[in-house]
Amino acid sequence: MLAVLKKDLILLISNKRELIFMLFYIPFLIFTVDSYDPKMLYFTIIVTFAYFTSLSSFYHDIDGKGKYILNSLPITARRIVLYKYASIFFHLVISIVYAGIYLWIINLAGITIVDYFNIEMIFKAIPIVMLIISIIFPAYILFEPRIAQIINMLVFLGFLIGMVNLGALGEKSFIKMIGIFQGNSLTYLAIIMYLLSLLLSMVLYQKKDL
Amino acid sequence: MKYILEVNQLKKEFKDFKLDSISFKLEPGYIMGFIGPNGAGKSTTIKLIMNLLKKDGGEIKVFGKDHIKHEKEIKDRIGFVYDQNYYYEDLTINQMRNIVASFYSKWDDKQFNHYMSQFNLNPKSKIRTLSRGMKMKFSLAIALSHHADLIIMDEPTSGLDPVFRREILDILYDIIQDENKSIFFSTHITTDLEKIADYITFINDGKIVFSQSKDKILESYAIVKGGPELLDDSTRKKFLGLRETKFGFEGLTDDLDLFKRNFGDRVLIERASLEDIMVYSVRG
Repeated sequence: MLAVLKKDLILLISNKRELIFMLFYIPFLIFTVDSYDPKMLYFTIIVTFAYFTSLSSFYHDIDGKGKYILNSLPITARRIVLYKYASIFFHLVISIVYAGIYLWIINLAGITIVDYFNIEMIFKAIPIVMLIISIIFPAYILFEPRIAQIINMLVFLGFLIGMVNLGALGEKSFIKMIGIFQGNSLTYLAIIMYLLSLLLSMVLYQKKDL
Repeated sequence: MKYILEVNQLKKEFKDFKLDSISFKLEPGYIMGFIGPNGAGKSTTIKLIMNLLKKDGGEIKVFGKDHIKHEKEIKDRIGFVYDQNYYYEDLTINQMRNIVASFYSKWDDKQFNHYMSQFNLNPKSKIRTLSRGMKMKFSLAIALSHHADLIIMDEPTSGLDPVFRREILDILYDIIQDENKSIFFSTHITTDLEKIADYITFINDGKIVFSQSKDKILESYAIVKGGPELLDDSTRKKFLGLRETKFGFEGLTDDLDLFKRNFGDRVLIERASLEDIMVYSVRG
């Protein structure tokens, strides 16, 4: 597990495209998103970062060139999938730390006042990331990259539309009406989806020709 | 463990290609060359051995163990070299080494550094800046730095100049001095194999043509040359492959005595190279 995490971390800090995204995405959101609840900005940043970094690492090793290297190393296909699913929590931690430091500096510089640590939003972000990943990861194993990318785009668009809907309409938004963020139902759903998705991905990946 | 690698009745079917129940074995302490034209099934076989492709039937045993049931343990003892660079191009040699080293139980930094200096590779160089030959050397350094007992290589020498190729062959020859290690490598540069291989497995169109010791193969086959007047329909059928011009013919046979008996001094008999055997067998 540590070897896979180490690999993900080395790749993350060496990938210029991801570093540029990480650098400019926060100011972009701060100055463009006008939310009814400032906490949602923090939530959106964490979810997007964790989602993009997890997906990038997954794509590298499951569908990209890296799959040949990883699969010729002493690690089984089941373990690769298991570690990839487990590593989303590692990516969540990195996102929380990174967003925290970045937003804290923005606060300190007096550019704008934003949340740089909000435990409530972190707990809401975790099941959302788990849900998104539960759909996207098996799609990348099961389908051609182009189809998987379309599914990925649709899921992410769904998330963004939800956030825009919530930001613009607040209590009257569709998200509030269906009560996604109320109670524990979202957490239970995320756990079930995550486990089912993990099992499905393990089976699919073990049978997949690279 | 009698064999380091055993492939029995291995099958794999694609839409337009079929690996048709192939079998071969490799003992510890030997180099086996895996030859065949492009698209014959060499890379498919190697990917099946590495479990990168899933077999449709048959059995693969590495170090006497099933290659799927004992995948992790087996891969820990295999050094694998691809036909092209799959390493992350944005990383430096050192970063890539850090990633790969964490997976192996017997990773040896001293050995890796030894190969880095032998190959004149700078650990701070980004992989994308390396030439094809340098990338191959880096792959080889990775494959040789965890005390692997079996080295599997897919076309390691293709696209490399003769000096690089000879250097790689010399290294492989050194490795094989340890009687417990074996090397299995695919190539279509048959002259490389004539220098170092002990066994040759020839695959064509998804079927094994032969898998034998190199010396036996080179003894069994011969090139027969003669004038056009010697050829008739029945003689033509006795060749494994034949090339005819208006001045004469040149053909491959594995029944030398037959031609000696029938034509005596009227034909010229020459030793067949592996390339001759491959070319004539494929063309027919």
